[in-house]
Formats: sequence, structure tokens, C-alpha cells
Amino acid sequence: MSGITIGIPQSLLYYEYFPLWRKFFEELGVKVIESGSTTKKILDLGEKAAISEVCLPVKVFYGHVLSLKDKVDYLFIPCMVYVEKTAYFCPKFLGLPDMIKCSLDSLPPIIEPTIDIRKIKTNFKNSFFKVGKMLTNDSQKIYRAFSKAQKKYQSYLNSNVLDKKILSNSGMPAGNKSEKTMNIALLGHSYLVHDPFINLNLISKLKKAKINVLTAEMVSKKEIKHQLKKLYKPIFWALSRKTLGAALYFFEKKIDGIIHLTTFECGEDSLVGEIMHQESKRNPSVAYTEFVFDEHTGEAGIDTRTEAFLDMITRRKRHENNVT
Amino acid sequence: MKITLPNFGNMTTIGGKALLFNLGHEVILPPPNTKKTLDLGVRYSPEYCCLPLKILLGNFIEALEKGAEAIAMVGGWGPCRFGYYAEMHRRILIDLGYEFKMISLEKPRGNLMQVLNNVRMLKNKRSLFSVAKAVKIAFAKIEAVEELEKAALKTRPRENKKGDTTKILKKGLLLIDENNSIEEIKKITQKILGEYEKIIAGNENKEVIKIILVGEFYVALEPFVNYHIEEKLGYLGVEVERGISAIPWISSFLKFFQQHQIHDAVEDAAKDYLSRSVGGEGQNTIGHIVLASKKGIDGAIQVIPFTCMPEIVAETISKKVCEDLDFPVLTQIYDEQTGEEGLITRLEAFVDLLKAKKQERRKEYVTISGS
Repeated sequence: MSGITIGIPQSLLYYEYFPLWRKFFEELGVKVIESGSTTKKILDLGEKAAISEVCLPVKVFYGHVLSLKDKVDYLFIPCMVYVEKTAYFCPKFLGLPDMIKCSLDSLPPIIEPTIDIRKIKTNFKNSFFKVGKMLTNDSQKIYRAFSKAQKKYQSYLNSNVLDKKILSNSGMPAGNKSEKTMNIALLGHSYLVHDPFINLNLISKLKKAKINVLTAEMVSKKEIKHQLKKLYKPIFWALSRKTLGAALYFFEKKIDGIIHLTTFECGEDSLVGEIMHQESKRNPSVAYTEFVFDEHTGEAGIDTRTEAFLDMITRRKRHENNVT
Repeated sequence: MKITLPNFGNMTTIGGKALLFNLGHEVILPPPNTKKTLDLGVRYSPEYCCLPLKILLGNFIEALEKGAEAIAMVGGWGPCRFGYYAEMHRRILIDLGYEFKMISLEKPRGNLMQVLNNVRMLKNKRSLFSVAKAVKIAFAKIEAVEELEKAALKTRPRENKKGDTTKILKKGLLLIDENNSIEEIKKITQKILGEYEKIIAGNENKEVIKIILVGEFYVALEPFVNYHIEEKLGYLGVEVERGISAIPWISSFLKFFQQHQIHDAVEDAAKDYLSRSVGGEGQNTIGHIVLASKKGIDGAIQVIPFTCMPEIVAETISKKVCEDLDFPVLTQIYDEQTGEEGLITRLEAFVDLLKAKKQERRKEYVTISGS
């Protein structure tokens, strides 16, 4: 048992589910090896292996798989299909294990549980049980590992959620506009917002500029669900629901600005971005911009645009203060 | 109610028009797709959206300008973007200041009242019996159109005078569009099929290159968007087989006519490479390619709109299928920038390659059997 190593590519849904995955395998006594943060080398590997039409995050995923494949006994690439009511993942996630198998050679065996909660056989618990069965025969141990992993995941989710008190103290709602710190929300798929290589260190740059950075993880699930009721037709992608729900929440709270991060060719964002753009027109007090990333995005360009965006907000605030 | 439909291939346009007409609506079709339609759509759509959304938006703008008061669309629940089109169009058109009703037919998911309301609007106070009749006529028309179009694909590479097939097909489509009884439609179909036979007299058994056309539904079926790819291939002497059909799609939607056997065989064929459905036509594309390679078809052309999510998965996997089965696949991506000349060059080169390959195989066969 102790000799087995499982590789988890640190990309795509890793940023949503890593506490769950990592804890589950650790509880089973398996050594988990992650591919680490994205580097130029990883991107280059991925770019060569994938066809040119796929989006940047999937290319990065290819690179992570390639950098891991010779170091581990198994690769863990779950196929997430359907995780809540009317919430699919992007088709590229649905076909991810098959795409990897078809385009890369000499891979270690892939553990690819399907998670589709519409069928009991493939809900979270049973899928993970099946994965556990591949590694150990002790059913009790698997269940224990899963429930521990789930608890860890829940507490991870809860730890991110902004406390209501902090929200009002940090000047989010009106009344504290003169305060110097700006509240800017970075919204987008978690594999963009939390991968500093893809978004060119945007979070740390904003933090250095003394900006209070908000992300979609800070909005509670309940709040997101509530906000999404504003839509005439519910949106049916799990990740976009989170982004859009958070955006609607931040629009309602009238924070200073929202930056929507997206990648070139992202199918979900082409629609969600448009909805956010339309909503921003209805909420003119919240500054809104969209940054599109691809493998050629230059750091200087993003820096300039960030600076311009921040300057605009500062000037607007000053102007408002002068008027009042 | 003055109601409009998108231009969605001949099948759905003729069928949909018949359905709405027989329900007592005044149907205002958008003008045929032109450069203007595309320009209008591109101007007001989100930049990275797939091509069908843009052209449909152009259709709706043109139809609303012509006086339509409602738009009939279908919707879905993912994972393909198409499911959200109707809502996206509604939002964009309202922003542009149009006043209309978007009647989107979809399975209800937490919006039962909306959907029932839409159905009631379409039903137009007709009895269930007359609704069933309207649906039957529409379905008969769709089947007839598909039969004629498929037969035309077989006829075109064998016709004696270039352009005859297209002329006859156009006549047939017009007749089907004008007639409103199932018997008449059947008669017309038989008559047109007879005419096809006349124009290929003497050429019936001519051996031609066979290509299967797979890919995204809208791009494959709408000739304006794919630059008449079926016709172009026909004139290059290629018999095209269609891997896309509106019928299983519509029947699964209506749940009246269960014709799932063929569909399942296609999915099963794809299982070795793509084990799950990825939405849209993704899995079918792979399945058709696998089946075609065993059926003696020479190659496949996959047509997809730029950024199409399911078809990008299929494209990745088709590379492997192509290698494993030694079966040529050409992927042609369409967007608003696609040029016709580039497409022609690519098609010609592909057909030349297929011809060379076929000849080589025949030579091998002769040498093996001769020695």
C-alpha cells in the first residue's frame, strides 16, 4: 500500500476540489504527488501535445499530466459531469480523460471516476468508493476516508466565505467610500483566478497595490443560489454559476470594481461574460472590465490595463467625494 | 400571432414553418441568410460566441424588422452552449430595444410555468387533435426533405449535366413547402426521386469517392454557413453521406417516434475512444467516423464552428481514430472570417489525396491477386 503513488495534475478542477481529493488519498495511505504550480516549461509541453483549438487551461492541463506521468504509478483524472441540479461541467471536462488518453502516449494507468449525481451509482460517495476499492479492500477504511475528506472539503469551503461582519467593516457597503482600500473582485473560473502563472500574478499585484481582493469563493453557496434567481433562465454550468452568482452579489453590494478573467475561446464565458457585461451596464457604479488570457498574453499589457482600471476607480471616487 | 423561426437548414425551416402555419400562426420567415445577416449577428453578439449564435441573431433581427412579434426557438440544458441560445438572444434583442415574445421550447427544469406558457402560446387554442395533425405533417415534410437531400448527394457526382441535381432538388423543396397534405408530399418525393434517376442515366454504377460529413449540426446543415460544402464536394465527383440528421434529434425531443436504434449503434461505436457523451454531436462525430471506416467510405470531413466545445473534444479524439484506423479525417473550422477560396483549395487537396489513396489500394490489390 505505502509504495503506491498517485499523481494529481495541479490544474483545472484541482483548484475546486483539491482538499477533497488530497485528503481522501492521504487517509487511504497513498502517497499523493502534485505537479506543482504551472511553469513555462509545463505550458510549452502542453502546447505541443494538445491540438491548437483547445483553450489555454486545457493545454496547461496537458502539460501538468506530461510533467507527472513518469513519476507516479497512477494518474487521477476524474470526469466531473453533473454535480448539482442542472449544473454540468464544460464538455471539455466531460471528455478530459478520453482526450488525454487519445493524445498522449505511455501514460500510467488513469483513475477516472465519473461523477454524475443523477445516478446513484456515480454520485460522489459511490464513485470515490470505487476508486478506493482499486487501492484497498477495506471498505470501512474507504468510507472513513471519504467522510473525513468531505468534512475537510466542507471546512475549506466555509473557511473561505467572508464573514458578514468583515464585509461591512471593510467598507464594502456604502458609507465608507472615502476609505483608501479598494474592494476589487476577481471573478472567473477558479483555475484562472488561482493560477498565478496563467493570470500573470494578478492577485499579488493587486494586493501589493493595497487592494482588498475578493473572489467567488468568498460568497456563500446559499447567497449564490439566491442571486442566480435573478436570471430568467438558470445557467447550467457549475463553474459559471459560481462566477455569475458572485458577480451578481458583488454588483448588488456595490463594491468598487469587478475584473472578469477569461481565456480566449472559453465557451462558457462567451455567454456568461456577456451577461455580466449587460448587468454591469445596469449597475454603473461598479466598474467592470474583462481580461482575456491566452498563451501569448504579455505581462506588460495586463499591468497597463490593471493600472488604468485602478486609476479610473480612484478618479471616480475622488470626483464623487468632490461632488458631495 | 406573427411568429418567426431561425433559418436552420431546409429541413427545420420547412418543417417548422408547416407546424406553425397549421397551428394557425402567421409565419414570417427571416430572409435567406446573406452577408448582411452575418454582419448584423456579428455586430451584436458576444465576440467569442460560436457562429450559429451570431447568424441566428442576424436572422431574428431581420425577421423582427419584417414585423414578427414572436420568435420560436428550442432550448436545452447543457452542456452545449446551444441550450442557452434562446435566452441569450432574448437578452441581446431586448437590450437592442425590440419588443417581442421569445417562445423557447425546452424540458422544464424549475421553470415549469414558463415552459407551459410557451407551449400554450404555440398551441394557439387548437384542439389536441389538430396539434397532432400539424406535428405529423411537419414531421412528414422533414422526412421528405431529408430523403430528397440525401438522394441528391448520391445523384450529384453522377449527373450527366452539371447543376441538374441542384435544380431538381430546389424544385422538390419548393413543392414540399407549398403542399400541405401527407399524401401529396409522398407523391412529390417519389416524383422527384424518379427525376433524379433520369439525369444520371448511364452513370448509375460509376465508382466515386465517398466522404462522410460529420460535425456540428447547424454548420453541417445550413448551406450558407458551410459554403455549400455538399454541393462543392458533389461537383468534385464525391458522394457525400450525411452523418447528421435532424430526425433522431427531433424525435427524441417529441418522444413520439422512437427511432433510437441507429443512434445507439453510433454511440456504441464511439465508446472505445470517447466513453461519455460530451453534449452536442461530439460522441456521434466519433461514432460515425469509426463506423464509416468499416463501411468502405474513403474519408470524413468534420465541420465545426470556431470555439465549439463538444466538437473540439471530438477533434482531439478524431486524430487518434484517424491514426488507428488509417482513415483520413479533415477538420474544417468555420467562423465569420472563413474564406470560400481557402475552403475550395482544402477540399480539392483532400479529395485528391483520397483518390490517390484509393488508386494505391487498388494497385496493391491487383499485385497481390496477380502474383
